[in-house]
Amino acid sequence: MAMLDIQGVTKKFSTTMAVDDFSLTVADGELVCLLGPSGSGKSTLLRMIGGFETPSGGLITIDGDDVTRVPPERRPTGMVFQSHALWTHMNVFNNLAFGLKLRHLPKAEIRQKVEAVLELVGLSGYGSRATTQLSGGQQQRVALARSLVLEPKILLLDEPFASLDQHLRERLREEVRDIQQRLKITTLFVTHGQDEALALADRIVVMRDGHTEQADRPDVVYREPASPFVAGFIGSMNLVDGTIANNVFTHTGFTVPLTAADGQATLAVRPEALHIVPASGVGMAKIHRVTDYGTHAIVDIDLPDGVRLKAMVGEARAWTAGQAINLKPRAFAAYRDNVAIFRSLDNHG
Amino acid sequence: MTALPANDIVGTKSSRRPTGLLLVAAPVLLVCWLIIWPIISAIIRTVWLPDTAGERRFSLETYQFFFSDQYSINNLMVTLWTTAVTALILLLICLPIALYLRFATNRIAAYVQGLAIFPMFVPSIILSYAFIRVLGPNGTVDLLLNAVHLPHIRSPYLTPWGPVLGLVWDNIPLTVLILLSGLGNVSNQSIEAARDVGAGRIAVLWHIILPRISNSLLVAVSFTVLGIFSAFTLPYVLGPAAPEMMGPFMQRTFRDLNDPTTAITQAVIAFGFCIVFGLFYVYSVAKNRAP
Ligand SMILES: Nc1ncnc2c1ncn2[C@@H]1O[C@H](COP(=O)(O)OP(=O)(O)O)[C@@H](O)[C@H]1O
Ligand SMILES: [Mg+2]
Repeated sequence: MAMLDIQGVTKKFSTTMAVDDFSLTVADGELVCLLGPSGSGKSTLLRMIGGFETPSGGLITIDGDDVTRVPPERRPTGMVFQSHALWTHMNVFNNLAFGLKLRHLPKAEIRQKVEAVLELVGLSGYGSRATTQLSGGQQQRVALARSLVLEPKILLLDEPFASLDQHLRERLREEVRDIQQRLKITTLFVTHGQDEALALADRIVVMRDGHTEQADRPDVVYREPASPFVAGFIGSMNLVDGTIANNVFTHTGFTVPLTAADGQATLAVRPEALHIVPASGVGMAKIHRVTDYGTHAIVDIDLPDGVRLKAMVGEARAWTAGQAINLKPRAFAAYRDNVAIFRSLDNHG
Repeated sequence: MTALPANDIVGTKSSRRPTGLLLVAAPVLLVCWLIIWPIISAIIRTVWLPDTAGERRFSLETYQFFFSDQYSINNLMVTLWTTAVTALILLLICLPIALYLRFATNRIAAYVQGLAIFPMFVPSIILSYAFIRVLGPNGTVDLLLNAVHLPHIRSPYLTPWGPVLGLVWDNIPLTVLILLSGLGNVSNQSIEAARDVGAGRIAVLWHIILPRISNSLLVAVSFTVLGIFSAFTLPYVLGPAAPEMMGPFMQRTFRDLNDPTTAITQAVIAFGFCIVFGLFYVYSVAKNRAP
């Protein structure tokens, strides 16, 4: 099957460095999510793999073949675009059959392949529909089928479900995962939604300004974010700037013991790992508000200088606004100059 | 009690309707007065002829004359030939220009667009004389060829190719603009998707782009045909004396031969050809509007 190798790929648009010396190896059958904020170069990278942009530098190989300068029509890649990009003058069947017809396959084989792939995406019997008669979710399914029917070595998806509502997005995401595992197709999935990446990926590549910030398994990226940027981008995270002196991190009354050299640092604590206890007297902080979500509650906390933190608690009733509390982070990390300088041992909160 | 709200609704409806009708009425009346009525009256005048005794009766003899007169038929044929050749050449020239303008990303495209639209600002009469000075006998091209001891060109001036060249030049801007607006509806992603499944340039053009702009092509051809049938200046100045195109032919029949009935007959026949393309145009616009 197929392995994708990207080595030192760079793309410069006049003045913008969209992708900057990016390297990544995707194993056969692996599903990698490219995750990052808008403008971080995800689409540009994907389009270079698909052949729609030519890299300014670097090398892209698929199964060892250099495809860096091969046009899209001769690459073994299949792309699913953000807006489905179906051909509205053709019905569903012809949209799917177009690539097969270009390959001069016999009619019977085309019919059989199209029907099989329609079945795969759950649209059996939709062949004669006009693409404009389909719902948004069905259109994206057809777009996915159009790529899959050609059995590409690498499947590329660029925020394919971004325009769909939350509910549908979650369902299609699961379907993509199922199909991907059934076909064992090497896949790159671009998204700016961290929940999508966490739910789908074998590996997440967090991108920022055209380079990799962290590339690892979803649970590692979530539990051990490599930088404050990743920490803030994945899941919800409290980030507090302060100073470390004598192995104690301090931010106006909020103190946490740790082991690190003296100096400036950023403390990162997930809400579910920020333990709070009622304080006798003033305490480290005050509760601003308690929001009950049924299964859990979120407590908004104000530090004396107004910095706002969030803590997750089991019972909303135990807490009231205005209450003085102390903060006991159970799992946390400290960063300096964009690298982790300390991680607490119990980081499974 | 229940009648009251119903009345109310009817009341608002009837009070709104006259405004709408009035708004539509103005253009409809204008069209009737300036277009429909002249057509009807022209047709009546050509089939309701006075006989030797001066009494009017129904007769198709002006049409019979037109279609039995070799000279008239030649004129009609040269008009149809010019139309077909001009439309074909226009598409061959304008489609690549429009495709280039649609897909080029560099700065030269802006200048090319300016150049392509430029003929719109040049009056036909100036164009005609420029044409004669360049391609006519002893024109610039001839002089240049002479200077290097090459034989004279066979000038298209005063041959059927003269009007063709002029009309092509004259119609480039409109055709390019129409095609360009059609190409605006073809999304980049739908083209990239086609390339992704293996379509080369020709396949993309043939299977994705052309089907999507077929309406624009139809509109462009309709406009060209309508324009050419009513063209006067270019065929008059650049074309041969015989056969001549319908525009100059009508004018000469009307003014020089002082035969209005025959001229009107020619006009009705030209109109008959144009209406076919007019209907094509209306049809394609209506088809586009349909949901
Ligand atoms: N065709 C282009 N021309 C110029 N700049 C571009 C082009 N495509 C993308 N960029 C720039 O490259 C950067 C990365 O864009 P993109 O890859 O689309 O990011 P993402 O998909 O992560 O949102 C952005 O700053 C964007 O403005
Ligand atoms: Mg993008």
